[in-house]
Amino acid sequence: MQVDGGIRTGRDVAIGALLGADEFGFSTAPLIAAGCIMMRKCHLNTCPVGVATQDPELRKRFTGQPEHVINYFFFVAEELRAIMAEMGFRTLDEMVGRVDRLDMTRMHRHWKARGINLDRLLHAPEIPADAALRQTERQDHGLGGAMDLKLIADAKVAIEAKTPVQLSYEIRNVNRTLGAMLSGEIAKAHGHEGLPPDTIRVNLTGVAGQSFGAWTAHGVTLDLVGDANDYVGKGLSGGRLIVRQPESAPRAANENIIVGNTVLYGAIAGEAYFNGVAGERFAVRNSGAIAVVEGAGDHACEYMTGGVVVVLGKTGRNFAAGMSGGVAYVYDPEGAFESLINPAQVDLVPINAEGDLDKGTGRPQQRGRSVHDFGMGDILRHDAERLRILVERHQLHTGSAVAAELLADWDTALSQFIKVMPRDYKRALETLEAERLEAASVAAE
Amino acid sequence: MGKDTGFLELDRRERDYLDPTQRLNNYREFVVQPSDGALSDQASRCMDCGIPYCHNGCPVNNMIPDWNHLVYEGDWKNALDVLHSTNNFPEFTGRICPAPCEASCTLNIVDQPVTIKSIECAIIDRGWKEGWVHPQVPAVKTGKLVAVIGSGPAGLACAQQLARAGHSVTVFEKSDRIGGLLRYGIPDFKMEKHLINRRAVQMEAEGVEFRTSKEVGVDISFASLKENFDAVVLSGGAEDARPLSIPGAEMSGVRLAMEFLTQQNKRNAGDTEERAAPRGSLLATGKHVVVIGGGDTGSDCVGTSNRQGAASVTQLEIMPKPPEHEDKALTWPDWPVKLRTSSSHEEGVDRDWAVLTKRVVGDGETITGLQCARVEWVDGKMREIVGSEFTLRADLILLAMGFVGPKKKGLLEQAGVELTGRGNVEADEQSYATSEPGVFACGDMRRGQSLVVWAIREGRQCAASVDEALMGATQLPR
Repeated sequence: MQVDGGIRTGRDVAIGALLGADEFGFSTAPLIAAGCIMMRKCHLNTCPVGVATQDPELRKRFTGQPEHVINYFFFVAEELRAIMAEMGFRTLDEMVGRVDRLDMTRMHRHWKARGINLDRLLHAPEIPADAALRQTERQDHGLGGAMDLKLIADAKVAIEAKTPVQLSYEIRNVNRTLGAMLSGEIAKAHGHEGLPPDTIRVNLTGVAGQSFGAWTAHGVTLDLVGDANDYVGKGLSGGRLIVRQPESAPRAANENIIVGNTVLYGAIAGEAYFNGVAGERFAVRNSGAIAVVEGAGDHACEYMTGGVVVVLGKTGRNFAAGMSGGVAYVYDPEGAFESLINPAQVDLVPINAEGDLDKGTGRPQQRGRSVHDFGMGDILRHDAERLRILVERHQLHTGSAVAAELLADWDTALSQFIKVMPRDYKRALETLEAERLEAASVAAE
Repeated sequence: MGKDTGFLELDRRERDYLDPTQRLNNYREFVVQPSDGALSDQASRCMDCGIPYCHNGCPVNNMIPDWNHLVYEGDWKNALDVLHSTNNFPEFTGRICPAPCEASCTLNIVDQPVTIKSIECAIIDRGWKEGWVHPQVPAVKTGKLVAVIGSGPAGLACAQQLARAGHSVTVFEKSDRIGGLLRYGIPDFKMEKHLINRRAVQMEAEGVEFRTSKEVGVDISFASLKENFDAVVLSGGAEDARPLSIPGAEMSGVRLAMEFLTQQNKRNAGDTEERAAPRGSLLATGKHVVVIGGGDTGSDCVGTSNRQGAASVTQLEIMPKPPEHEDKALTWPDWPVKLRTSSSHEEGVDRDWAVLTKRVVGDGETITGLQCARVEWVDGKMREIVGSEFTLRADLILLAMGFVGPKKKGLLEQAGVELTGRGNVEADEQSYATSEPGVFACGDMRRGQSLVVWAIREGRQCAASVDEALMGATQLPR
């Protein structure tokens, strides 16, 4: 059992141990030992002691050393040792769970303390003589039976020699984080670059457990016919995820959930196509992945900082809350979307069907090139082209009926899409472009 | 709040002084007030810290980031309200406070601190100029009578707070004008005295009655005060100067700094020589002056001697010369010991450290020199260096070696309050109550010699305690 939250002193550790903790989490206090002065400017990039900043000038001011933190913990340990001696404990193990040695001091003077009763917290349950009150054995997570071990073995030739393989399995919801260990092996061998596109293609049928395709590496395609639980594509790192419903399913994809909540949480690269509706918090904290989905729940694209999201159906409320980067396109034939966004940081922009003559930093491509470039082109331009390419890719990978319909009457469909553009992101891109043009003109001279 | 990146863009810029040639022929203040824009720039350097160390660096807990922000925004009037909410007399501290807030400024760790003191001074000066400072007359009088003994910064702050709470306050001052050391200790070139007069007018309008030239314990008995007032506050300062006990110190050329400074302050106030120096004029003009004591009072003696036209001025300090720059990792956010060069030092002085005075040289009447020796400090113990003796030419020796505590004779004897081991009046910082019921103490009389800003703090907090004792509860801030 681990305890944390405002743990600073040896006394805190002693109390935590007596209450039953085996491990103790510290954060603020060691940070202060390293030089933090609690400026509460971590979000502004102006930390004057160089702790929480990327500004090279400010980082020079950081004077912390590992020894400072070590020294701090020596003091914590020393205080704990004194308390243990006072209480008659020789080892910390003896202390764990001994709530009978804790007592409560009433804080008479403070009104907030009046309603507090710690009796239940300080209750010492009956413990059988042969049972331990502390951690005595390691938990078995059953990783030895993980489906990824099979994937790794079957894809050995692909990981080692980049020889393409196609694998097929059935999957059940007990199979969690499918693809994560496989991707780990790929990252160990090839780093973030991964493998060439589609080197490992895994065809799956069934219901995937939590975190399907988490951290999937570039070069891996997971194609699931069925549906998946929460956290699909968490931290997606370059791979391609497809979740589609069986052709025989007698239901409209854009009205039925196919993946759970918090899909693509913190994804950094890669692509995902979902032939159905996603749950709440779709693509939260996405910083680089591209995704097409046929509907999404509340809070989609919250805190998103990069990447492209296309929603071909209805969304929930609070769309794009705190979204500071990347773009989203939403198909909104009924004109209902505007009332669903959180407008604090984003603008809604219609799609320019004419296309842009100036190609800027590049036009969108049908295929991605690498883990760093999924062919989205210059984000300030080419919305119509980009959208068409994404809808086409979606249709190609999932056989989506909705996508096929849109493509059949594309001009009409295009006029019913709306673009969600973070204001500061746009300004930053324009500044970068101005700098680039300036540099180019200087170079030309 | 403020400007997030102000501290990265702008350097600290202090107030300018007039050149010594322009200031040495008079006793006027010589600080050049910066423009509003320059002040706003300096205020923008404030980082609005999550933990503003300046709040605690400042003895009156000034809400510094708040008014820095308001000055940055150009909202001077609100800045004044925030400033006045913690400090009764910012025009005093804005001039003569050593600014411990700046030592504790977070920017001072690796950069230069915000110019908190100049911003404070500008806010209140502007307030007076714009007519924003009004008497705060209480809506209801309590009918309680409070006597405040001593009109230094502690007594004034205490009296003003109590008057605003509705009590009828009478301030007793033994000198001919109110202000205590604020008026007669601090030279005009550091703080002009019309600032005190202006506050006195405000306080009288708030209901404070001043009785000058009334020394409690001499002109009025303490017992009569206790009989006639519901509460008595002792704020008489720590006036007992540390004496120089060496052979020859009894000669007339060896004088206390306060006598010297008070005379000049009275002359500056327009007094006749008879009123300013009833026991004979004490002037440095044409003399070789030696100031013993390296602190602020010594520095004031240096500045005053130079203005009077001394032939030479030497200042001696018994402690070793401190480092020019402190080790901030060790000292911040506390007040560091480091070499401090005041504006008076810039005007001309020979300073010497680790010097022990041995004997005043003279014929029993007139002095001619001061025999000294060098000392070294080992493990906190002083040791005279053998054979290091030397003699300084001296026509006038001014003693500025600090104060050992309040005067016991008269007031304190009559009051019968218990004293601490150090000879100060015993009272804690919560109640400020002395051992005698209904008698309170604050300022230097309670804590020993200290800063004006500490006196203001004690006066304010003592007022809250007195109010609570009289009324059962108080709305006054501590």
